[in-house]
Amino acid sequence: MDNLEQTTRSLWGDAWHRLRRNRLAMICLGIVILYTALAAYGEVVYRWHQWKDITPSYQRTNIEMQYLPPSPFRQPFALEGDVDAGFGGRMSAGLRELTRHPLGTDGLGRDVLQRLIQGTRIAYMVGIVVSLIAIPIGVILGCLAGYFRGRVDDFIVWLYSTFAAIPGLLFILAIAMVVGRGLLGVYLGIGLTIWVGLCRLIRGEVIKHGERPYVAAAHALGLGHTRIIFRHILPNVFHVVIVTFTLMFPAAIGTEVFLSFLGIGAQGEPSWGIMISNARLRLWHGVWWEMAAATTALFFIVLAFNLLGDALRDALDPRLRTGRQ
Amino acid sequence: MASDIRPVSKYMGRYIIRRIGQMIPIVFGVMLITFILFNMVGGSPALLLLGRHVSPQALEEFDEVRGFNKPLVFGWWSGTRAYDDTPFDAHAGAWRALEAVEHQPATDDAPAHIRLPSGTHAIPLNFAPRANTGFRWVIEYRLTDTGSAALLFAEAPEDEDPDAERMERRVELPPAERWSRATVRFGSGAEPAGLNMRMEVAEGASLDIRRMELQRRANHPLDSQFVFYLGQIFKGDLGYSESMNQPIAQMIRQGVVPSLMLTVPIFLIGLVISISLSLVCAFYRNTWVDRSLVIMAVALMSINYLVWIVVGQYLAAYRWGWFPVWGFESWIYLVLPVTIGVISGLGNDVRFYRTIMLDEMYKEYVRTAFAKGVGKRSVLFKHVLKNAMIAVITNVVIAIPFLYTGSLLLESFFGIPGLGYMAVNAIMSSDVDVIRAIVLIGAVLYVVANLATDICYAFVDPRVKLK
Repeated sequence: MDNLEQTTRSLWGDAWHRLRRNRLAMICLGIVILYTALAAYGEVVYRWHQWKDITPSYQRTNIEMQYLPPSPFRQPFALEGDVDAGFGGRMSAGLRELTRHPLGTDGLGRDVLQRLIQGTRIAYMVGIVVSLIAIPIGVILGCLAGYFRGRVDDFIVWLYSTFAAIPGLLFILAIAMVVGRGLLGVYLGIGLTIWVGLCRLIRGEVIKHGERPYVAAAHALGLGHTRIIFRHILPNVFHVVIVTFTLMFPAAIGTEVFLSFLGIGAQGEPSWGIMISNARLRLWHGVWWEMAAATTALFFIVLAFNLLGDALRDALDPRLRTGRQ
Repeated sequence: MASDIRPVSKYMGRYIIRRIGQMIPIVFGVMLITFILFNMVGGSPALLLLGRHVSPQALEEFDEVRGFNKPLVFGWWSGTRAYDDTPFDAHAGAWRALEAVEHQPATDDAPAHIRLPSGTHAIPLNFAPRANTGFRWVIEYRLTDTGSAALLFAEAPEDEDPDAERMERRVELPPAERWSRATVRFGSGAEPAGLNMRMEVAEGASLDIRRMELQRRANHPLDSQFVFYLGQIFKGDLGYSESMNQPIAQMIRQGVVPSLMLTVPIFLIGLVISISLSLVCAFYRNTWVDRSLVIMAVALMSINYLVWIVVGQYLAAYRWGWFPVWGFESWIYLVLPVTIGVISGLGNDVRFYRTIMLDEMYKEYVRTAFAKGVGKRSVLFKHVLKNAMIAVITNVVIAIPFLYTGSLLLESFFGIPGLGYMAVNAIMSSDVDVIRAIVLIGAVLYVVANLATDICYAFVDPRVKLK
């Protein structure tokens, strides 16, 4: 019975079914969706302030409010002002205060939670833009090398061997330095170096598939090279791209934090790297919440993506699938 | 037996030569990429390094030493900093000193330009043209009211006698109502030419200048930045660090030892721990021990490197005072950075080596060994570990060249004066030459290590050569 059911599911449907059964992967997917929603919310807030042309509150300094600890029960009801409004009024004032700085404020009196959400937005921007740079390069070069072999292959292998030979982090730093401080340098630095692994994997897979009968059949039908590569071979190796993407994303986020920390990444925007860099010295004065917030946020997104990537690999890799039968 | 050995060694020599042949293009590729990155995209770092308030002569000298005043790859002409201020987008630049000159910002029908009324105006020049160099003066201009204009300058004397009177040369600019371009060539004699440049605008006319450039003629078309750069590398000249005021080769020699003192212990201790843990995983595979170790490894590798360092330094060195916070005086100073380095790398390594061990566990010889009744322990240590060593050694040898660059963050956080610290400082002060030197050496070491691994392989496994 089970066998019958299996034959009716498509390749992707089958993979999704496998993934559904992995509870840990589902939790990770939930975390990723949550972060994505936060990043989208952050983007809306950012755009709205840009459109209105006002300084958002997460950028406004407010020295009186500096170093407020994150205790949500910090005398929420002992507020003056709303006393005459009765219990309901006091309650709402308390709740407002309670929700105003749930994670405390930093050294310039800016709300840590809001900065954290903006950090999520920047991390997602980096992850997405880097993938948009690296995946097309890796996929196209890998497909060309694996499909045409010969001189094309020699050239592309030479190209990625050269990139692989250069010490990674220094290469990224050098690109970011040449392009100039700011997120553009981060995008290009990470994007132009991270494609090598994907290109290598895709090339290997395409070489394997090039020898399969279905490709020979496509040739016999007289189909063009572009069509064979992108319509016939690429869908069969696309699982590599998906798995690589889920592992590339957290790697890009981690590198952005590093670059921003060194001061050549995000400029004047609350990236997690900037937050860690600011919080580092404050930590020594006992202000732990900014550091804790940024590092925890960073940890969970990277962990979720890493575990999801592993689960996806298990769900999508045809080698494991045949091995289990 | 003896007859077998000779052909093998013959193939071996050929194989090594072939591999070296494959290695050279990669080294060349690295040079090409660093050239594209730093020379073509980056350009001269003179302004960044020396600051904006430095005389154009100093900038020119900086470029001269580093070859930035040459054409990029091929060609006769390269720009100079004689008229750094054009195009006149923001202001009239050096022309501001002349009272008669009017600056016109960009409008819909004309780009930003300066306007010279009739009369004779001295052309401000950022530096005096040198002797023995040919120059080409380029102007993009338009003349209004059908007037005329001419360039006047002192030509170099005909003979080599410095006292000889200089010829005054006068070049009429062709009349042009629309924007057009004129070039004047001079110089290349033993005496500097092009001195005392003036612009003469006829009565009732006015001259609009959009762009003005002084280009230098190279000695031959291959006298380019690229050839200069290759020459520097082949001479083993790594350049001079402007920010540290030291030859870079000397800086690297000094920095490599502290870096290795940090990275080699991290590497060795990390290797031993991660291989042991991966063997534990393989031994208890698919039990709770394996699963919890894997989850721990993923959790460990999800914690950002930066966080390990910041929190580790704060807690272990500052809060609890177990270790010194900053400095490099005795081995005590290395304990904390090494510990942090080992822990932060552990997650990735355990997962990697576990995959290798498990790949080996599913091979047929292992099944055979189990079928023969060999014990689990003996299979693991005698068969699996031995065979997995090939993959382990590859990974180890490939990682060795990266040890030399040290650790950027660990070194700058704990004040270890190694190459990583040097690189971070160089990035902060935009010292391109230092970064380029470290990148180049790192890449060459990587390629050499690759070659060494492949040759070792070929010695161990004769099938490799057939590929």
